[in-house]
Amino acid sequence: MDDLKIEGSQSTPAIFCDAVHGVVEMRGDSYPENSFELFSPVVAWIERYLRDSGQALMLRLHLLYLNTSSVKIMMDIFDLLNDAHAKGRAVSVHWFYDEQNERVAELAEEFREDCDFPFAISCQADSHA
Amino acid sequence: MDQIDLFSLQQTYNRQRIMLCFNGPLTKSLIEEIGFALRNYMQRENAPASSSMDVFGAYVEMTQNIRHYAAAKGWHESEAAATVVVGRDENGRYVVSAGNVVESADGQALAERVAELATMDKSTLKSAYKDQLRKPRADGSGSGAGLGLIDMARKAAEPLTCSLRALDDKRAFFSLRVVM
Repeated sequence: MDDLKIEGSQSTPAIFCDAVHGVVEMRGDSYPENSFELFSPVVAWIERYLRDSGQALMLRLHLLYLNTSSVKIMMDIFDLLNDAHAKGRAVSVHWFYDEQNERVAELAEEFREDCDFPFAISCQADSHA
Repeated sequence: MDQIDLFSLQQTYNRQRIMLCFNGPLTKSLIEEIGFALRNYMQRENAPASSSMDVFGAYVEMTQNIRHYAAAKGWHESEAAATVVVGRDENGRYVVSAGNVVESADGQALAERVAELATMDKSTLKSAYKDQLRKPRADGSGSGAGLGLIDMARKAAEPLTCSLRALDDKRAFFSLRVVM
């Protein structure tokens, strides 16, 4: 299975889906007008990965601001993980946030309320590290 | 055309503590550029990262709503015009306002929605938000699909307010105000 790499921009996160290690990393702000368009390949990659491999999948998120359009698509992604988890797959999320910005932690916390799989939220002094 | 009185504009902006304003057609890149300026401005004012993000978030939701609305109506991009103002109130709280031309019936429905949200407390708003998050998307819609207003109401320091001014029998100017 191929990796998927999407370059970041001012309004979109850098995304890297690593098939060998089973890691999806997202970094940056996400406020495109149409998040559905941006995230469709990522959703498709995750669906394929969960279908074609038996390996664990981890989402490592360094996301900052998300517009509501991005929140909606992230919920779709977490729902995919919920389904996989219910079928016994090892899936997890680790969301990192900057200690200066508790809004990001609140956002992650709210997603976690709707997730059954392991979901860690960690503060780090410098989110760009 | 009257000579533009910059001095009186400056006096008005200062008196109303306006940090940033924009009037005209909104494009995707303009939303980003103005948003970037807004963030820099707030950073220079040493605003906490969380309130900077709240103000930026309200600005993004409002301006993108206006673009989505114009697109949904099939209007030309130049008709996705808005008047956007970010400033402070007398207590130093940030205020984000945006206005745009809407069809009268849509404006009426929006005003009712804003009034409805104003009656909800934070926990009711949270469940409304989660309900809305679970609703299926309209075909091809990549927008937040109705989440924006609730999101702003949840983060606001006081209930959202709006006004509707009729332009003719079909269209009205809708403006929305959020205090952060």
